[in-house]
Amino acid sequence: MQLIAAASTLAAAPAGAAATPRLRYLRPPGSRREPEFLARCIRCGQCGEICPNRCISYFHGENGLASLDTPYIIPRDKGCILCMKCGQVCPTGAIAPIERTAEAIMAGVRMGRAHVDTRLCLSYQGQTCGVCYRACPLPDVALYVGMLEQPHVTDKCVGCGLCERACIQMPQAIRIIPDYS
Amino acid sequence: MSSSNRKPFFLWRHLNKLRWLVLSTVFAMLVILPYVHVYQNYVSAHAYDLLAPSEQRFYDLMQTLTEPLTDDPAEDLDAIKGNTWSGTFWGFKLSDPLAAAGQMAASLKVFGPFLLTALIPILATLLLGRFYCGWICPATFLYELNSNLAVWLQKLGVRTGHRHLDRRLKYVVLALGLVLSAATGAVLVAAIYPPAIIGREIYYAVALGGFGAGAVFFVGTLLFDLLVARRGFCRYLCPGGALYSLLGRYRLFRIQRIVENCNDCAKCNAVCEFGLDPLRDGFGQECNNCSACIAVCPTDAMTFRVRFTDQPDQGPGHLGRQYRKQHAGEGRS
Repeated sequence: MQLIAAASTLAAAPAGAAATPRLRYLRPPGSRREPEFLARCIRCGQCGEICPNRCISYFHGENGLASLDTPYIIPRDKGCILCMKCGQVCPTGAIAPIERTAEAIMAGVRMGRAHVDTRLCLSYQGQTCGVCYRACPLPDVALYVGMLEQPHVTDKCVGCGLCERACIQMPQAIRIIPDYS
Repeated sequence: MSSSNRKPFFLWRHLNKLRWLVLSTVFAMLVILPYVHVYQNYVSAHAYDLLAPSEQRFYDLMQTLTEPLTDDPAEDLDAIKGNTWSGTFWGFKLSDPLAAAGQMAASLKVFGPFLLTALIPILATLLLGRFYCGWICPATFLYELNSNLAVWLQKLGVRTGHRHLDRRLKYVVLALGLVLSAATGAVLVAAIYPPAIIGREIYYAVALGGFGAGAVFFVGTLLFDLLVARRGFCRYLCPGGALYSLLGRYRLFRIQRIVENCNDCAKCNAVCEFGLDPLRDGFGQECNNCSACIAVCPTDAMTFRVRFTDQPDQGPGHLGRQYRKQHAGEGRS
């Protein structure tokens, strides 16, 4: 199956069609949209090497041949701390260089958006939690809490995944829906 | 026609040692940088107390090693990153010309800033030919050790491969790699280019806990070199080598034979990793200026010259038996 999938990814010629992901992963912050990212990334591994949080891993073929050796982030394993170093070190601009300010990050980073599962979230079950709110690097902007610290995600969320990493529920009640568009 | 005024520069005999020093330094850097990355993570996490004892020993070692070089660990340890495929030195970026070619093929457009990072390597290749293959490539480091292993295996009676394939095969591989990159919209040449693979795989092994698929490919190339053709991948298949051969065709610095000093011993042909024919002035675009033939020559008949083209075949060496037979009687008084 893996081979057939890889072959179909290969066959799915010019750009666009190659980006039908089968896994839920994030690209590093500031990455271009998937087809352009794949065309620009030369698989040098510098983004992972400079990541102080070591949240960037590399595909080995489980996501098709086209994204072999490209960087990805699984937010439940380790979220992105938005240090923006990977964009500075990327030689090809596959990850765009973005300044480390809240405005620049909100304007330039589109890794995905957090989604709260109210059936799992403790705060929606009558207990107060608020861990995701405390983990959020953009509190009250990307994520605000209402009554009983019930989290609400706004469209300013960049999808860094720190809330998903921090969620104390198992499985996690808040998760990033990646933006592959 | 006195040979005294055609002596090569005496230090060029030792260039091969310098080359091994450069090769091993580059390879050592590829191993050290991932460890720096792991150490950096410990530093930024401020979690020394939470480390396992073995990790604490590693931390202490790295701290001792890097302390004299770094004022501010968070900044200074970021200074050198990457590998020979693409690297960053204090914000100055250098990339492999093949990376630029592959990226242009995959995206079907030119991305200026990235092409600029490949400019210095391209200019150096125009001047020095395939010097990358002989002097820097981390795969060469392992492939030459592999060649030495083949010699030892032969001494033990194991049959190793000495087939000769068509050198033009690698241009086909290069063209195919670029066409497939363009067709899929992904830089696929990165997956079949050994130095890029080695840079990545060492990082995976050190920092991410294990080798990836590229390691299998690389072991395959080692076995190919051992069992099918000596240095076969570099000679016949490497897409990067093909690109540098094309760029370095009219290189300025080339190795040449001084026919007056040559005694036809053919040690240069035996030592040439790329299977060229220095004895008959057959270097061509394939020569990687590794200077192994200069180092091995017993009569100092090999030297570097500044020329755009090779000498045509200069005939048998003047110290050799064949030349002396042909010219018997001449110059005798």
